Amino acid sequence: MEEVWITGAGVISALGVGKEATLQALLEERAGIGPVRFLDTTQTEFPVGEVPLDNEELRLLAGVGKKPISRSALMGIVAMKEALEEAGIGRDEMGKVSVVSGTTVGGMDMGEKYYRDWLGNDDYNDYIKTYTCGACTEQIVEEVGPVRMATTLSTACSSAANAVVLGANMIKTGEADCVVVGGTECLTRLHLNGFGSLMILDKGLCRPFDASRGGLNLGEGAAYLVLESATHARQRGVSAKALLAGYGNACDASHQTATSENGEGPYRAMKKALEMAGIEPSQVDYINAHGTGTENNDATESAALLRLFGEDCRVPVSSTKSFTGHTTSASGAIESVISLLAVEHGFVPANLHCDTPGEGCVKPVCHTMRDVRLHYVLSNSFAFGGNDTALLFAAPEVRVAMPAMPDSRQLYICAAEQVSLQQPLSRDWMTSPKIHNTPFEKAEDPSFGEYLKPLEARRMGLMLRRAAVTAGKATADCVPDAIVAGTGLGSIEYTEQILDSLYDDGEGYVKPACFMQSTHNTAASTIAIRTVNHGYNATYSHNGSSFAASLYDIWLQQRLGYLSTALVTAQDEMTEGFFRIFAKHGFLGNQGVTAGECSAAFLLSDRGENLSRAMCKLSGVEMQHCPTDEEKHLALLRLLAKAGLSLDKVAGVLLGLNGRETHDARLLASARKVYGEVPLLQYKHLFGEGFSAEALGVYAAACCLSAGEVARPLNIDDSAPKIVGPECLLVEGGDEDGVQSLILLTRK
Amino acid sequence: MEELIQTLKQQIIEVLNLEGMKPEDIDNDAPLFNEGLGLDSIDALELIVLMEKKYGIKLQDPKAAKDVFQSVRVMAEYIEQHRSK
Repeated sequence: MEEVWITGAGVISALGVGKEATLQALLEERAGIGPVRFLDTTQTEFPVGEVPLDNEELRLLAGVGKKPISRSALMGIVAMKEALEEAGIGRDEMGKVSVVSGTTVGGMDMGEKYYRDWLGNDDYNDYIKTYTCGACTEQIVEEVGPVRMATTLSTACSSAANAVVLGANMIKTGEADCVVVGGTECLTRLHLNGFGSLMILDKGLCRPFDASRGGLNLGEGAAYLVLESATHARQRGVSAKALLAGYGNACDASHQTATSENGEGPYRAMKKALEMAGIEPSQVDYINAHGTGTENNDATESAALLRLFGEDCRVPVSSTKSFTGHTTSASGAIESVISLLAVEHGFVPANLHCDTPGEGCVKPVCHTMRDVRLHYVLSNSFAFGGNDTALLFAAPEVRVAMPAMPDSRQLYICAAEQVSLQQPLSRDWMTSPKIHNTPFEKAEDPSFGEYLKPLEARRMGLMLRRAAVTAGKATADCVPDAIVAGTGLGSIEYTEQILDSLYDDGEGYVKPACFMQSTHNTAASTIAIRTVNHGYNATYSHNGSSFAASLYDIWLQQRLGYLSTALVTAQDEMTEGFFRIFAKHGFLGNQGVTAGECSAAFLLSDRGENLSRAMCKLSGVEMQHCPTDEEKHLALLRLLAKAGLSLDKVAGVLLGLNGRETHDARLLASARKVYGEVPLLQYKHLFGEGFSAEALGVYAAACCLSAGEVARPLNIDDSAPKIVGPECLLVEGGDEDGVQSLILLTRK
Repeated sequence: MEELIQTLKQQIIEVLNLEGMKPEDIDNDAPLFNEGLGLDSIDALELIVLMEKKYGIKLQDPKAAKDVFQSVRVMAEYIEQHRSK
């Protein structure tokens, strides 16, 4: 495996723009938290950590003109440019660089501003394309790219930390030489009110680990790290600022918004990180804690820290959220940069405002420790849904022993279930499909009462119920090592309720249940909580490639030997209102294909005991950002070569034709160039269009390989001969103007 | 008071999405949390929003709010005394 080096970093937060400003503020113990200046809110009693620039100033700094763009994207551009500059990577070299960004808010600042306009008039339609989490990453990439591949992690407050994890896995497997990882999140009324509804905001300055702590202060910002394989960095002649020595992701699997008493998730995440680096807890020189300042987090994190580092925990601990506020999805990256600054400049930042450590809490470092040598620094990021991740950085002179890649093992799709526009949890569509001819339909639901008790279902929206049921069916008795979900929009039903409430009732009345289910990671984490699964847990939200990214994540980790069984899901629901909004954008509402809803779940395994029910092999996943036909063809050849197959073995390619005439014409013309004479198939006309639709393409292909013939309803041309005994099928998916994927499935 | 108790039960069912439950299924004096109706801390937060939105009562401390949410009757009595809507 390749050593993962960090060769550049960039940051923007309440402490200012850039690493230098951040360093000075930390050394001088100057926090950036104060009254609201820029966010248009009536909730002014809560102090916040705002980036000290308005959007116009940010536009200038980011070098973007007048185009529609979200504040999250603007901050992301500024931070990413700094990271790339430090790493010495010019724009002309970006074609080889991938970007993995974390966000949950995405373009919600524009969403909450223009939501009612989008529904009522055409004045701000240009902003619709800035709304999603994926759009936020795409907008950043547009300013630094074109890039090789891009995706978006959305695990609430650990999003950026999990982006670091994916980037590292891409490098270790040799899938990438260089990946820019991190996250961005601006303040919005939506999450300020959401956190307010959970009553975990402090009206004073946050006091992490203090006995009198009364909650968190929200912050905003962005930060990115340039991760590079040691080989690649040496070739370029650049040195490491630090190494990524280890990382761990574990699920607390306890509660959607609260952490467990004993801190099982945090403990496991930190332990995994140390084990990966092969070091003892006593070798850690500084811990940058998650330390939000809430009663619950700080108690739990302390419990986990004392459990791992001993009751007399001698390792200096501090929460720099006392400087920046809680920058939610960006925090993992901002605190990574702070950790790197600490290593580079030999200091431990202070934990402000902790005069008397709370009962059971760690005793944090109250004032900056200077002139210290830090070899290993641990940075914690925990999130709603119990999505807990710890990152372990090492000083550049530290040597990390890298294990060899394990022997490759075949990965199988052992089960696949769906709820969509077809008969739920059934393969009837293969012989008697339902035909649709309206622009938008809700999915056909199974009877939830059979699977879920009313009390446990009371806070679950449709999307979550479907995810729980399909996942339960697919997993059966198996205990997966990992649960990964893809979703373009998350629970749009609950998000819509929050937006309606902000418009109709004013601020202060956001329903806590709606807020906690509106983060994109609710499906993966709810499944983990229901089954008490402490394994790896992540959620991707990058428009139409969300599911492919989830599969890609699992594919990488299985090759690294980090897991052997995984549950991968995809889910998106649609409301009348958001259907109208996305129809304006041109994505939905096209002739011949119905906008639908999807929930799909796949159990993947390389373990013998699960193979009796295998449907097919997963033989590879390729992801590219805006590829040309030539680049796509090369990716196809790479994919086939790695699987030891040739193009003549491919029985068909499932294309994401969505009924939009210009889109479909381009897709077909491109497919002819890329795949030659391979028969072309379609699936969205049966299952519906939506951000998660690609999962149903994979589902349909797996069903066909399992049945030993391609189901007739997938044919584009009714008169085409029936394909019997397919060796392998390809599923092409993603977004035409964004990330595209190729997924190769082979018969078992 | 009886009328308020009935309205309140309906509102609780609605705001907490207690599917299949009718007002008569909730005992006036049974505990709402844990062993009674089986509600949890998030439900308490929902009820805090309900109190403010429907009755103009701002409960600042979620722990103290638990005393108000002992039962539907206690809740109704509290509303009677403190309502501004």
